[in-house]
Amino acid sequence: MKRSGEAFWWALFSAGGVMAALFVPAFVLVTGFLLPAGDEAVAAERTAQFAAAVGWWPVKLALLGVLALSFVHCGHRIRHTLMDLGLRRFSGLLKVPCYGGALAATIWAAMLLWRI
Amino acid sequence: MTMSAQQTMTIEVFRYHPETDDEPRFQAYEVPYDEDWVVLDALNWIKDHVDGSLTHRWSCRMGVCGSCGMMVNGDPKLTCAAFLKDYYPRPIKVEPLVNFPVERDLVVSLDGFMEKLEAVKPYIIRDDVNDTSGGEYLQSPAELAQYKQYSMCINCMLCYAACPVAGHEDEFLGPAALALGHRYNKDSRDQGQSERLDVMLVGEAIWGCTFVGECTVVCPKHVDPAGAIQQAKAVGAQEYFKRFVAPKGAGV
Repeated sequence: MKRSGEAFWWALFSAGGVMAALFVPAFVLVTGFLLPAGDEAVAAERTAQFAAAVGWWPVKLALLGVLALSFVHCGHRIRHTLMDLGLRRFSGLLKVPCYGGALAATIWAAMLLWRI
Repeated sequence: MTMSAQQTMTIEVFRYHPETDDEPRFQAYEVPYDEDWVVLDALNWIKDHVDGSLTHRWSCRMGVCGSCGMMVNGDPKLTCAAFLKDYYPRPIKVEPLVNFPVERDLVVSLDGFMEKLEAVKPYIIRDDVNDTSGGEYLQSPAELAQYKQYSMCINCMLCYAACPVAGHEDEFLGPAALALGHRYNKDSRDQGQSERLDVMLVGEAIWGCTFVGECTVVCPKHVDPAGAIQQAKAVGAQEYFKRFVAPKGAGV
């Protein structure tokens, strides 16, 4: 019997899990707590410097990679949760909204990053 | 043991004799309470003193044989390692392992499980199997450490009773069989990984696992099947992508 192509999705899911676990908490800490902390004027300047760094294209590209893989991770987990909830026979069909959603979110993130 | 002034506790046991019973029922027994007793002691006491028709599997009484796995108050446990004192004075409900067909009372059918174990070819595969001229196949402690943990499985099947995927996906090979396949793939003396992956990477055989992790939680031998499965999936993913960088039959 032929080996399953699920390996491809699982590899992206796995990479996304590592990305999400490593970087997303750090992003939340930096952008949600550290940048806005303290004096308002200082925080504004700090945020502007951070935004400038994000505006550098290699940073944008790295951010997009982290976000895209995290989105696939999310979509894959949702797909398998839905399969566990009784939609197992639609496992192929579920790829469309789950990975399609991840693709749409990635394009949206790319557009946002492009504007910075 | 004297029964006078003896504390007792209630054991509710799943009973089902397919030749006479239309459906399963629960039967409550009062058993002597002894803080050194395990659930298996209580079951054996019932069989010896109250009801010889009670049917359950057991052998070693010391967590080695893997025969006495049952659901104890809803959790898969080796009944030889589940102490009454951890439940006393509340009643204990004993049922056969879930996710398996019941043969009689607490005994489940092993057929499906055995088929899955055999499917992963759990033995060393070599091209030069008849050639012993070089002596034994030596293995360093580091090479042994690669798979030793996964070789500790006693086939008690608690992991199958704990796994929600094993309960609803027939194609899924299940925690113990996948961990065992991975154990041989990681063995430095083995050359059969490709053959095994042809079984493990098909359909939902391994990919059905969604890393719930309950198999590892209930494992009495600390095998960590969930970890083995994730490692095996990573090997499967590497093999998948290798197809694109190496031509078929290039010995990858």
